[in-house]
Amino acid sequence: MRGPLLLLAAIAVVSFAGPPLGAALGIDLNAVDLVDRLAGPSLMHPLGTDELGRDVLMRLLAGGRVSLTIGIAAALAAAAFGTLAGLVAGYLGGWTDRVMMRLTDGIIALPLLPLLIVLAALDLRKLGVPAVLAQSDDINLIRIVVLAVLVSWTTAARLVRGATLVTRNRDFVRAATSLGAGIPHILWTHILPNVLAPLIVATTLSVGDVILLESVLSFLGLGIQPPLASWGTMLSNAQELITSAPFLALYPGAMIFLTVIAANLFGDALQQRFDRRAAAHD
Amino acid sequence: MIRFTAIRLVEIAAVVVLMSFVIYALIGLMPGDPIDLMRQADPRMSAADVARLKAVYGVDQPLFARYLAWAGQALSGDLGYSRLFAAPVWSALLPRLANSLLLMGSSFVLALALALGLGTAAARRPHSRFDAAINLFSFAGVSMPTFWLALMLILIFAAGLGWLPASGIATAGMSNLGDRLAHLVLPVATLTLASVGGYTRYVRAAMKEALAQDHIRTARAKGASEARIILHHALRSAMIPVTTILALSFGGLVSGALVTETMFAYPGMGKLIFDAVMGNDYNLALAALLLATVTTLLANLAADLAYGWLDPRVTYR
Amino acid sequence: MRLINVFRYTGTWRGWWRRWLPALTVAGLLSAPAMGEERESLTIGITQFPSTLNPNIDAMAAKSYVLGMALRPFTVYDADWRLVCLLCVTLPSIENGLAVPVDLADGKKGIDITYTIRPEATWGDGVPVTTADVLFTYEVGRHPESAIGNAELYRRITGIDVKDDKTFTLHVDKLTFDYAAINDFVLLPAHIERAAFKEPAQYRVRTRYNADPTNPGLYNGPYRVSEVVAGSHILFEPNPHWAGPPGHFKRITVRAIENTAALEANLLSGTIDMVAGELGLSLDEALAFEKRHGEGFQMIFKPGLVFEHIDLNLERPALADRRVRQALIMGLDREAISTSLFAGRQKVADSFVNPLDAGYSAGTPRYHYDPARAAALLDEAGWRAQGGGLRRNAQGDTLLLELMTTAGNRTRELVEQVLQSQWRKIGVDIRIKNEPARVLFGETVPHRQFDMAMYAWISAPEDVPRSTLYSSEIPDASNGFAGQNASGFKSPEMDRLIDALEIELDPMKRKTLWAAVQKLYATELPSLPLYFRSDTFILPKWLKGVGPTGNQYPSTLWITDWTAQP
Repeated sequence: MRGPLLLLAAIAVVSFAGPPLGAALGIDLNAVDLVDRLAGPSLMHPLGTDELGRDVLMRLLAGGRVSLTIGIAAALAAAAFGTLAGLVAGYLGGWTDRVMMRLTDGIIALPLLPLLIVLAALDLRKLGVPAVLAQSDDINLIRIVVLAVLVSWTTAARLVRGATLVTRNRDFVRAATSLGAGIPHILWTHILPNVLAPLIVATTLSVGDVILLESVLSFLGLGIQPPLASWGTMLSNAQELITSAPFLALYPGAMIFLTVIAANLFGDALQQRFDRRAAAHD
Repeated sequence: MIRFTAIRLVEIAAVVVLMSFVIYALIGLMPGDPIDLMRQADPRMSAADVARLKAVYGVDQPLFARYLAWAGQALSGDLGYSRLFAAPVWSALLPRLANSLLLMGSSFVLALALALGLGTAAARRPHSRFDAAINLFSFAGVSMPTFWLALMLILIFAAGLGWLPASGIATAGMSNLGDRLAHLVLPVATLTLASVGGYTRYVRAAMKEALAQDHIRTARAKGASEARIILHHALRSAMIPVTTILALSFGGLVSGALVTETMFAYPGMGKLIFDAVMGNDYNLALAALLLATVTTLLANLAADLAYGWLDPRVTYR
Repeated sequence: MRLINVFRYTGTWRGWWRRWLPALTVAGLLSAPAMGEERESLTIGITQFPSTLNPNIDAMAAKSYVLGMALRPFTVYDADWRLVCLLCVTLPSIENGLAVPVDLADGKKGIDITYTIRPEATWGDGVPVTTADVLFTYEVGRHPESAIGNAELYRRITGIDVKDDKTFTLHVDKLTFDYAAINDFVLLPAHIERAAFKEPAQYRVRTRYNADPTNPGLYNGPYRVSEVVAGSHILFEPNPHWAGPPGHFKRITVRAIENTAALEANLLSGTIDMVAGELGLSLDEALAFEKRHGEGFQMIFKPGLVFEHIDLNLERPALADRRVRQALIMGLDREAISTSLFAGRQKVADSFVNPLDAGYSAGTPRYHYDPARAAALLDEAGWRAQGGGLRRNAQGDTLLLELMTTAGNRTRELVEQVLQSQWRKIGVDIRIKNEPARVLFGETVPHRQFDMAMYAWISAPEDVPRSTLYSSEIPDASNGFAGQNASGFKSPEMDRLIDALEIELDPMKRKTLWAAVQKLYATELPSLPLYFRSDTFILPKWLKGVGPTGNQYPSTLWITDWTAQP
């Protein structure tokens, strides 16, 4: 468990610290150099240059920042939203539960593509989003995070609902109710800690899924727009150059692979840890 | 249980109706329509042409009116014509559906078989090196973008070694089984490798839990053979997560795999849905998407019913 | 479980081999090309599958490529960009008397043009091509509900006189210099399609080109369609009733593979023999391919008529000033882009007229890379550089422009980033905002919600720029946002030149008019010219005779010239 966690932390630290460091050293991420394209590794460019002469290492780190931000933000937001929905549905039961379950079924079947195109085309200013935000470079990031959350909140909701159903019948919850505790208090203090374990595992696993989703969106042309780099766009762009400059595909591909597999292994190790603890308690 | 099923079927119908409107609205909310795209490609089209074509294809009507017209037709069994294929929706849909069922079905069966084998083997040797290796292998497959996996396979086996064809469903003019099988190998391999990891983990976890149960110990003490223990006792408990997997993947049988189909130029449902949506072909997109929705919902219902049969402790409210 | 048992069961090395031999043999046999018949069949890879095969509905590059082998149009522009007769015997002209200008009732000039169908032209089922087909096609083209895409041609023809089975005269209501070009008048077989046209509104659905595409009677060219697998491939075989010189190949397969990386892999693995230039790799992809695998193939680069440019929205305050527009183009090192990204194969354009075009004028003002002059122009226009490199005007606004193009198009994205970096150097801040094609062309460009939009105009030889530069073609509510003059260029002089150009029959006088048009365009710069896209044809070494045209008429129209050298 320590292994994957350390790897993840290392990737995160380097990705977030790298670009500011590079900027301080004077390496411009976006400096196009048409003369020095597709160069191999050198002292100036440790990983070589890409098809526009930009430093691959810096773009890789900046791309990591974007991909990791999207992954973590989407995973946390989906977990929060899903937990709320799952707690409410699981605890209240009855019609609330039925509606919630059918709603999640519907969302699972919802087509991603028209949703994303509509999101890409909406004029956010008409929706009341302040102009500064709507025109900033980060709006693309936010769009993708919103889409990822819409797609993955249902897993967390289902998990939490299931665990809530089991927990709410337990004695200590009944005791709390009979003592007059309000619903929010019960949800927060009694039920939530008991559903946390599978939730944490699912959230960790979904980080990897979101990073992969981002790369598929770039493949379809609906992802992060230039000049912002992400591992997904770097990988997609490197497809055509696969025979002439394979290293351009190797680095982002390897980073995606390492990050996702580290997240997955970490989540798996967490799950085993929780299972052992649960087994010990029962 | 009958009551349960009946209520669920009604709920499914309600969801389908709601989804049909949501999908129609989403496609309609997408800016631009195919006449505009046509105009971009053909500079000779005049404003009068554009207006005329919009009237011919009916895209100048308001969205809700078009939806009601479609719904009315659909309820009477007529799913309309596909603008992209210029053919009735069913005749455009069926061959692609068959292709997808073949592709997705084969890879699903193969992945499940592998997962059952690997997962059980890993569960029987917990915390061993074999277990760790299986774990790593299962995560490797799901940690790579599918288009990447597909491209690697094409480059190695088709371009590099030349063993297999790189795309399509058949060589033109040939209709024998061997040719079609050869064309299926790489796409099926891609999909299998991408999904076997997830299935293996499910099976392994369930088998581990099942093998630790008391009745397994009793059976062993009674002298039952290893094979009987696995196949008869433990597998029954493992069927619950397998049923979950089945239910989750069933929708995929119909909705296809867009990325794999694009990379291998395999004409399946995934590409059909993508093209229909991007091309504003309402009739085709709705028919395909609703088919996928209904399949997913029915599969979920079947899974819920199966849980009841597999585990008598589960009750229905 | 079963897999592990299999291996345990076979045990020995020999056993393993026996188990796998059949599978390996099958795989080997299937992939090895059959030696004797390789050169009689050809597999072509393209990046799009034609949605319908009816020649007159839904114009698509993939469809005209594929139909080039199977249907003969009357007239086309050949590889030298000259108008030639394919289905007709002689190209009508005023000089040879087959075209006669007439005075119309409202004082305008029209023209009567006489064509004779080739006597040997026959449909694939043996029925000869006659004027009955001409009349039927005309009827379909004129009908408002038949979903014909480009009805302009049929609108212009006010009537047809039939002299006999093969000769007919068109009465056209406008005398334009390209009067003999009826390229879009592709004949439909009356004897088959009439039944489908019984209910005109249903024609696009009932047309036999979709319902029964392998019917030989639908095709009158050297090949006919013998198999269609929607979304995957189309198979062509020789048309038995074709009376002209036969094509070399007995089987031609056209395969659609949308992903270009997969297309390249297919080429390398031999699944396809060639990649069509009209619908293949983009130039930078082709150059990368050439570097690695060029020796195994013939690579032909043909400059074409697709004009990559940046539309400038003249209503934006910054862009309304001509000095700013000129500064923008002078701040670009287009030569460097052409040399480094495109290995010099996509030459810098000065205007939308291609240097190979008859109307090209070498005297068009040419802008060279001159950042100093660009900076001076910007200062003059009131945009002064502050500390930090950005420019502000007197009101304190920064010079910030949004550059848009089609998302997912890697070449354009690359070029955009180069442009952004170059413009930053002269103090113009650029924000890149890409949208999917359907959003860009469906909403943003027609509604003119952009600052700068980079995309391509597709044109034909000597194509008069009415829809793109005429003042009445600015997309707005009055024309249903259907005009293509997205920059909003309003110039009475340009309007006058366009009107004069269309009806000028004297080639020398036309050249003068064309020169004036280009000079006006280059001076006013409603859009920034970038380059003309080149098509790359990647052919196997043994394929000879392929003649790329560089215009929208595909090389497959001359498929009978293609041969395989052993």
